[in-house]
Amino acid sequence: MIGYIVKRLLLAVPTLWAVLTIVFVLARVLPGDPAQTILGDQATQEALVAMRHRLGTDKPIAEQYADFLANAVRGRWGDSLVTGKPVLEEVGKVLPYSIDLTVSAIVLGALIGVPLGTWSALHRNAAFDYIARLGSLLGLSFPAFVSAIMLLLAFAIELRWFPVIGAGGSGPWERLRAITLPTVNLGIIMAAYVTRVTRSSMLEVLGEDYIRTARAKGVPSRVILWRHALRNALIPVVTVVGLYLGILIGNSVLTEIVFNRSGLGKLIVSALDQRDYTVLQGMMVVYAFAIVLVNLLTDLTYGFIDPRIKRQ
Amino acid sequence: MSAATEAPLLELDGLVTEFRTGGAWHAALRGVSFALARNETLALVGESGCGKSVTALSIMGLLPPANSRIAAGRIRFAGRDLVGLSEEAMRKLRGNEISMIFQEPMTSLNPVLTVGFQVAESLRYHRGMEGQAARRAALELLDQVKIPAAAQRFDDYPHQFSGGMRQRVMIAMALACRPKLLLADEPTTALDVTIQAQVLALLAELKSAYGMAMIFITHNLGVVASIADRVAVMYAGAIVETAAVDELFARPTHPYTEALLRTIPRVDEDSAGLAAIPGQVPPLSAMPPGCRFAPRCALREAECEATDPALAPLPAAADHRVRCRVRAPATAAPRHA
Ligand SMILES: Nc1ncnc2c1ncn2[C@@H]1O[C@H](COP(=O)(O)OP(=O)(O)OP(=O)(O)O)[C@@H](O)[C@H]1O
Ligand SMILES: [Mg+2]
Repeated sequence: MIGYIVKRLLLAVPTLWAVLTIVFVLARVLPGDPAQTILGDQATQEALVAMRHRLGTDKPIAEQYADFLANAVRGRWGDSLVTGKPVLEEVGKVLPYSIDLTVSAIVLGALIGVPLGTWSALHRNAAFDYIARLGSLLGLSFPAFVSAIMLLLAFAIELRWFPVIGAGGSGPWERLRAITLPTVNLGIIMAAYVTRVTRSSMLEVLGEDYIRTARAKGVPSRVILWRHALRNALIPVVTVVGLYLGILIGNSVLTEIVFNRSGLGKLIVSALDQRDYTVLQGMMVVYAFAIVLVNLLTDLTYGFIDPRIKRQ
Repeated sequence: MSAATEAPLLELDGLVTEFRTGGAWHAALRGVSFALARNETLALVGESGCGKSVTALSIMGLLPPANSRIAAGRIRFAGRDLVGLSEEAMRKLRGNEISMIFQEPMTSLNPVLTVGFQVAESLRYHRGMEGQAARRAALELLDQVKIPAAAQRFDDYPHQFSGGMRQRVMIAMALACRPKLLLADEPTTALDVTIQAQVLALLAELKSAYGMAMIFITHNLGVVASIADRVAVMYAGAIVETAAVDELFARPTHPYTEALLRTIPRVDEDSAGLAAIPGQVPPLSAMPPGCRFAPRCALREAECEATDPALAPLPAAADHRVRCRVRAPATAAPRHA
């Protein structure tokens, strides 16, 4: 297992290097001089030269590339053009909120989706199965920002159970209250995906020869379900959860805006709004890191579930 | 044989098993009857789709509940009727008093559980063995099926085993609780010829060591002689001929049995010789009236296509029974003597 982890980690290095290179190239091939963009049309020639020097864009391209890589690795992603603070600090401030939301949405989605999908598979074509399938279809096709607004109207404004605004200040109780509605919003979509995948993969696994073998041994059906079937059925579920994280990033932008909660989504929108190039560049790297990390976690989970993978 | 006076271990009586396809029920077994004594080995032979597996699965109570049913007949095992027994009662029998080995060793073991765990499982649920005791007993079983270095391989996963070794594991699992009856559904078909011979020898050896009765399913009459006491040849969901092994090979009577015998693949070549019988097994939904084999039969007469003959004893040997109105007319006077 350790060897497998090390191998996966080493494989992540070239991926990250490729991502950084793409970010670097994108920033250079985009039309316009960053110094000009930052200082505006009225900037003097001296100011432009000074700014280019500060940004390092006056150096030869190879040297810029080397600097960029070295700085990226050391976490020096430049300063925000708007606040003047280091990009890493800006990102670091909102990152915990995003992680909180993502993790809790995934946990909620799995807690609802796995049992629901399993139950649905066990009662194939019964009334419950139809309801669960209809519900998950609804969850998949419902726009996240609409459900967010509906949740907000119902539970924050009408019932006043949860705060309308913000990620909550101090104390775990306040944080929990603030995160509940956004989690429910994203978690239900997640649950819809997980339910569908769990159902179909469970149906497939229950038809496998080794399930028949277990029955022929006289293993009780509850043990067959939990020990023999579920673990095999979870492999595609892990894939979907990993892929869904990409969608979650997109949906969390809208969710953060509707619930006025800070996080990466809001940061990237305001950086776009204010043309904060250094922050945008940093965010691209953060998202790329996040995706690489998710893939890594997905692979490690496969290795944990399926012995055929880690022994290869 | 004294077993004839003793009550048989297993007795199938007019078993009709049906599947629902396209909204209608079709019989896959059309009244299968046979009896099996303790320690006896019956070979169930026939082409693909004749109902051999369905027979075994009916005995095990492992038919898919959604689209199958036992429409008629009885399955008596050790004095009990298994048809209509509760699922929990059947579970207690399965893997305990009746075990089954399947054709496909590559997919019949769970890929995410260790081999040792899977062998120990029968002991856990039928003998209440846990932990070290279960481990020791399972290890002993793996030794008995001659898995080399079993102690080292105990915690390995199925994908680390070859096909032949996996089939040995399946045998260990099936024998864990010393069943009275073993159903072996083409246990060697998926294996190489040399491995086949080894697994067959192992099965024969363990069968006599454990004192089990066995139903050995195969579509290869060639392996039957070495392992079985009696043979039942199946065609389209019914037994068409049954006799002691020597008797059957000496005097094959049903035209289908003869055709099967001509297709025995030689040991030195691994050709699938069954393609040699012209025509094919009719689908469940389009069974011909009369004798099911008539459309493919060289001896066919007009009457064969109208009435389905009964399984009748031959005048010379009462224990040799044949379902053919040309070769074994049920009436006293043979017409084609
Ligand atoms: N689950 C099922 N649903 C519908 N029909 C089935 C099912 N299982 C078996 N049958 C049908 O029952 C008939 C007998 O099948 P069975 O599996 O017993 O054949 P077999 O003699 O074991 O053949 P093989 O040598 O290929 O294993 C076939 O026509 C098959 O299509
Ligand atoms: Mg079969």
